[in-house]
Amino acid sequence: MKKYLISAVSLCSIIILSACSNEKSKNLPDGKLNPCTIRFSWWGGDDRHKATLDAIELWNKIHPEIEIVPEYGGWDGWTEKVSTQLSGGTAPDIMQINYDWLISFSPDGKGFYDLSKLSEHLDLTVFDSDILSFGKVDNILNAVTVSVSGRGMFYNSDVYRRLNAEYPKTWNELFELGEKFRGEDIYPIDLDIQSGGTAWYLAVVYVQQQTGRIFLSMDGELGFTEEDIKLALDFYKELENKHVIRTIDIRTDEDGSAALYQSPKFIDGTIAGVLEWGSSVGKYEMALPEGLLEAGPMLSDDNGNSTGWMIKPSVLYAISKDTKYPDEAAAFMNFLLNDEKCAEVLGTTRGIPASHTAEKSLELSGKLQGLVQENDILLENLDTITISPYMELARMKSFYNDAIEKVSYEKANTSEAAHEMYISINEYLERIRR
Amino acid sequence: MKKIYHNPTGVKKYTGLIFISPFIVGFLLFTLYPFVSSFLLGMTDYNGISPPEFTGFSNYISMFEDEKFRNSLFVTFRYSVILVPLKLVISLIMALILNLEIRGMGLYRTIFYIPSILGSNLAVVIMWQFLFTGDGLVNQFLEFIGIGAVNWYGNENGSLSIIVFLRLWEFGSAMIIFLNALREIPPEYYDAAKVDGCGKMCAFFSITLPMLKDVIFLNLILQLISAMQEFNAPYMITGGGPMKSTYTIGMLIYDEMFKYHNSGYANAVSWVLFVITTVFVLLLFRFTGSHREGNQ
Repeated sequence: MKKYLISAVSLCSIIILSACSNEKSKNLPDGKLNPCTIRFSWWGGDDRHKATLDAIELWNKIHPEIEIVPEYGGWDGWTEKVSTQLSGGTAPDIMQINYDWLISFSPDGKGFYDLSKLSEHLDLTVFDSDILSFGKVDNILNAVTVSVSGRGMFYNSDVYRRLNAEYPKTWNELFELGEKFRGEDIYPIDLDIQSGGTAWYLAVVYVQQQTGRIFLSMDGELGFTEEDIKLALDFYKELENKHVIRTIDIRTDEDGSAALYQSPKFIDGTIAGVLEWGSSVGKYEMALPEGLLEAGPMLSDDNGNSTGWMIKPSVLYAISKDTKYPDEAAAFMNFLLNDEKCAEVLGTTRGIPASHTAEKSLELSGKLQGLVQENDILLENLDTITISPYMELARMKSFYNDAIEKVSYEKANTSEAAHEMYISINEYLERIRR
Repeated sequence: MKKIYHNPTGVKKYTGLIFISPFIVGFLLFTLYPFVSSFLLGMTDYNGISPPEFTGFSNYISMFEDEKFRNSLFVTFRYSVILVPLKLVISLIMALILNLEIRGMGLYRTIFYIPSILGSNLAVVIMWQFLFTGDGLVNQFLEFIGIGAVNWYGNENGSLSIIVFLRLWEFGSAMIIFLNALREIPPEYYDAAKVDGCGKMCAFFSITLPMLKDVIFLNLILQLISAMQEFNAPYMITGGGPMKSTYTIGMLIYDEMFKYHNSGYANAVSWVLFVITTVFVLLLFRFTGSHREGNQ
């Protein structure tokens, strides 16, 4: 019995040790592309899903020996899914990641694969160095920026034409439209407070424009004072009071838990505008008849001051630190980022590509057009601010949403909500920076 | 003559253990191991990515200062207190109806059980939106009968109500347990009661209810545990809102764990939930003990 036991333990040890050493050698790049199956995950709307699946099909024709398994879905719940996969060591080989995930999942730069080691298959020379710096943590290249994007205003042209209204250029014009549309029970725009947090985003733009102070610095310092936060909440409340946006009460009653682009009120034109990332506006565009959604001017004050608008890497690609196939994953990532034919297939479903090769390919094929391009041009003409990755952390969003909800439901006045939010944000930022 | 059982060929000392080993391995890996590691993680600062750091009882201490924790605990209690008695009453009434000797009753029983299988999946969420949003079917009906529309999703009480309605609609499991117990009651008891001049209501309170005491208790415990752990329905239907009015403790654990990467705290909260639920169950055992023993 003892003999059998010793044999069994020895065998298990050999298997485990050999598996470990095998794993380690497989995790290092060897420059070769071997037949394998790799997983690629992303979130997005239907337009992005369709284009990405087509791109995978194109890859399969060129590299049938490297099979790509797609994993995709909507944004809601996606962070939680990837978080579980990363914690459990079952993350896909290649992931589309959000900007703030670099802080959450790789605070020391070791949470994702160091992409600088994969230069044999991944061409990074076609990216500007400041664009590449977005994906660096502690000087380790964790991710590559797919595109840089900002939120812009998009309007249902049919409704605006019907009501003989022009797209607003200033905040005051926006407020006037709210009053003008009230009689028709139409809202010039609407903002959600849920996962996207667009309501707080617009309020931050407004305050940044008014005060010149930046909400959060790149290293996570709160730039707003308590007064600034109050100003932002006052602005939000005024949007509700002047019928520019729906109150939370009305929005949840009418839409339930549906996202704004799925809302019957957006589809039937009761909501005549949205604030959305240029890289993600496709889902709103698809919900309306073709050509109806149009990009509008970025709002400014009455003196033409249009600062305060923000940009960030809309999405980035990263490779799992546990991948067994770094070379193959890098090759596929390179295909997604830089291949000319792939760029044509993907179009602008993730925004205007940051890769010069992909951008040029889109330009030559005449695909560099539409809302994404229009929004990009509008932002290019502004003095934009790069969003701090700390701004999009889930806990930070919960602070914004709690404050806005309290103000909207009148459970707290803007001073009380601002005070609470100021304290919470400072405490949290101090804790995570430690 | 005493019968002698021969040991079949190949059966040895450990054969039984080998047969039950799938359960033992499953229990050790998927129940005991998570149970113990959850307690240990509850005493750490752990984000799910970096190695955990031992922090003692600090997670438990910070829970008392956490307004969200207090609120979610209150929401969970409120929800359980409303849902559990209502569900017991409705499932018992339905079981009584489905216990009648009517043709095709098997089909009816199956139909009434279907909602319990569905759970709170995406299709149900969409259906609930059709029913309870501003222009939904329920409000159309309420307006038709002159009561007027209710803001179900946007109102704190309304949103809790629609979660309760969903779970009430899923009365099937509790109903099946009642139904089974009802069919166990000997019909002679009712015949004797009838002879003694006892009517239907009298028979229900004098025979049916006393005979169902144990099953009512069983259902009470099962429903209470399930209500205390509620997560799916508020997560899918209301997202915990508005104003955190449907933000149950299950949602808090989920958010802390997966959204905020505060795994240590999430594990500590789940242990507090476990202890509270256990205390409730023990109290119920204690306070209902004499009644249940009386039945035996």
